[in-house]
Amino acid sequence: MTSAFSWIAADETAEQALVRIYKKRPFLIFPPPFHRLPLRAGNVVEIVGPSPSAKTLILIQAAINCILPKEWKGVSYGGLERAVLFIDLDCRFDVSSISRALQRRIIDANGLRRSSLKGNGNEYDKELFVSSMRRFLYTRCYNSFEFLATLKTLHHRIQQEKGGSAVYMLLIDSIGAFYWMDRALPTSSTGNNNNRKSLSLQTVVETVVQEIQRLLVAHPMLVLATKSAAFGDKQSITEVIRKRPDEKMPDPRDAQNKPHRCFMPSVWQSFVSHRMLLRALDGESKHQNRPTFSTEWLLPPLNCSDHFTVNDGCLLIPK
Amino acid sequence: MAPLEDLERDYPIIDSNFRMFCASHGIFTDTDFLLHDLSALEAFARQDYAPDKLEQGIKQMISIIESGQRPWLNGVELLEDSQLNKCTLSTGCEGIDILLQGGLREGHVTELVGPSCSGKTQICLKSASHVARNSLGKVVYFDTGNSFSPKRVAQFLSLLSDPSATQTNKAVERDMSSIVCHSVFDIFTLLDMLRQLMNNLRSQISFQVRMLIIDSLSSLIAPVLGGGGAHGHALMATAGFLLKEIAHESNLCVVVTNHMVAGEAGMLKPALGESWKSIPHVRLLLSGKYSATGTRITILKHPYLVCPSQKKLLMSILQYWHPLRMKASGKSADFVVL
Repeated sequence: MTSAFSWIAADETAEQALVRIYKKRPFLIFPPPFHRLPLRAGNVVEIVGPSPSAKTLILIQAAINCILPKEWKGVSYGGLERAVLFIDLDCRFDVSSISRALQRRIIDANGLRRSSLKGNGNEYDKELFVSSMRRFLYTRCYNSFEFLATLKTLHHRIQQEKGGSAVYMLLIDSIGAFYWMDRALPTSSTGNNNNRKSLSLQTVVETVVQEIQRLLVAHPMLVLATKSAAFGDKQSITEVIRKRPDEKMPDPRDAQNKPHRCFMPSVWQSFVSHRMLLRALDGESKHQNRPTFSTEWLLPPLNCSDHFTVNDGCLLIPK
Repeated sequence: MAPLEDLERDYPIIDSNFRMFCASHGIFTDTDFLLHDLSALEAFARQDYAPDKLEQGIKQMISIIESGQRPWLNGVELLEDSQLNKCTLSTGCEGIDILLQGGLREGHVTELVGPSCSGKTQICLKSASHVARNSLGKVVYFDTGNSFSPKRVAQFLSLLSDPSATQTNKAVERDMSSIVCHSVFDIFTLLDMLRQLMNNLRSQISFQVRMLIIDSLSSLIAPVLGGGGAHGHALMATAGFLLKEIAHESNLCVVVTNHMVAGEAGMLKPALGESWKSIPHVRLLLSGKYSATGTRITILKHPYLVCPSQKKLLMSILQYWHPLRMKASGKSADFVVL
């Protein structure tokens, strides 16, 4: 009889539950462009944008914020000192981009201004650089099955990394990289007998989502995934836009009003908890020579957008 | 996609019992195994009449998957690999070398985009001859439109060598024998040859290859794109990923060319659409205006160099003569190629 009562007895009050959750998975405010919403481990953030926008750069900046320590030899860097897993599905990642950005961040935080172009630029703390780069773990996959194999064996790999508590972020570059290859997968011609799962985009994405969910239960992490979007590019060749001589060129900012088409199956779309949209702005940066981008949170929808420019591998918020 | 029977030879634990158990859950090949929920499978195995052997079999399959994977590298190892293996190859065109801070990088897929007669093939031939002369390795050239001209390559090579040397002809011959040219006219042959090349490089059969040039890739892919089906895009994506794998794993420099098509409001845009944009590492745009001072080259995309939105241009002086014109005039080369 005591066992039946123990089913009904409460485990903890709501207040205790909240305190426990906030202690174990605290909300963190990340540097821009994520500064508007607090994020915590277990969130899945999707960064959507056309190509080229600065999506991989945003991932690199988030990785740098994670791998740097909070403080080193008296200088505060404001990092989390946790490891980062980077799964490169686009296979275009170049390690020079993260090493340059990390060097620049260390130099800027130390307040050393590069007075000459080549002279003092190399004076930075190499020990800090090496210990931070050691926390950046990278692998690449050339097709969906390699990706699935990586996810299935990831649990074991994380366990090897200092007992499994050190990994904080999972970065996936371009979750839609294999979209076209999976859509053309040969479906089994024997039909659905033998209850065999047919190879298709749907089953692959379902399995990916399942594996990531299982991974998040065992190792709570923040997942950042990029995806390249198409802004209404379903123009047929026969559609030629004729304009009168007095009309201006169609403003590229008109793309803001066209919603982006999400091409991933709904399994992935419902798995995502936050979504951010990136767009390249062309018109305003005629004075400076640097590309400008705008970010906007789609999920949860905030009605404001931020701008940033890219300067030598760093994101700068102007004004 | 290997059926499970093939694994029994090397791993006797994958016996017919295990395969029957897997077949009852719809698993016949190793890719089926990847798509399946492994913890559910283990739970079913525990309820079977021979649980230990089945669980061992599942563990063996997992370790086979693990052993076939690429290892995780940390940032320090990545940097070491990049510094040791991925050097920069000069193209022979000073303007491009300055723009790309050294030249074409091994491990990168570089795309040259431009309208016709903007100099794409000339840059390819110049780079091929420069790499053949200066590096110890071969250049593989896939030619889709019969635009490869051995005479032109010989011209470039004879310019590069010292005019006072007596062994010029022999040197030119030796360098030209390191450029291997294949004619490819459809996408399936291309995929076949790329896979063959990858296998050869992996097993170190062929001599070390430093550069792979495909001129022009878009003429092979553009006919299969379009229509409602996904097969055209899938072929393009497969070719793109094969090129990236060859470039990275075998430390090659891959150069592909692309043409331009009409876009919005009468402006030209690169062919092959939006999904192609995310495949090459570096995209260089050549403007079509051939003038006396040269051709303009812009960076459209680069992993770490800043791509100016305002299309800041760098003049690259690339004067060239058409090979046929050279024949008609009968004179030897008297032009400046920088």
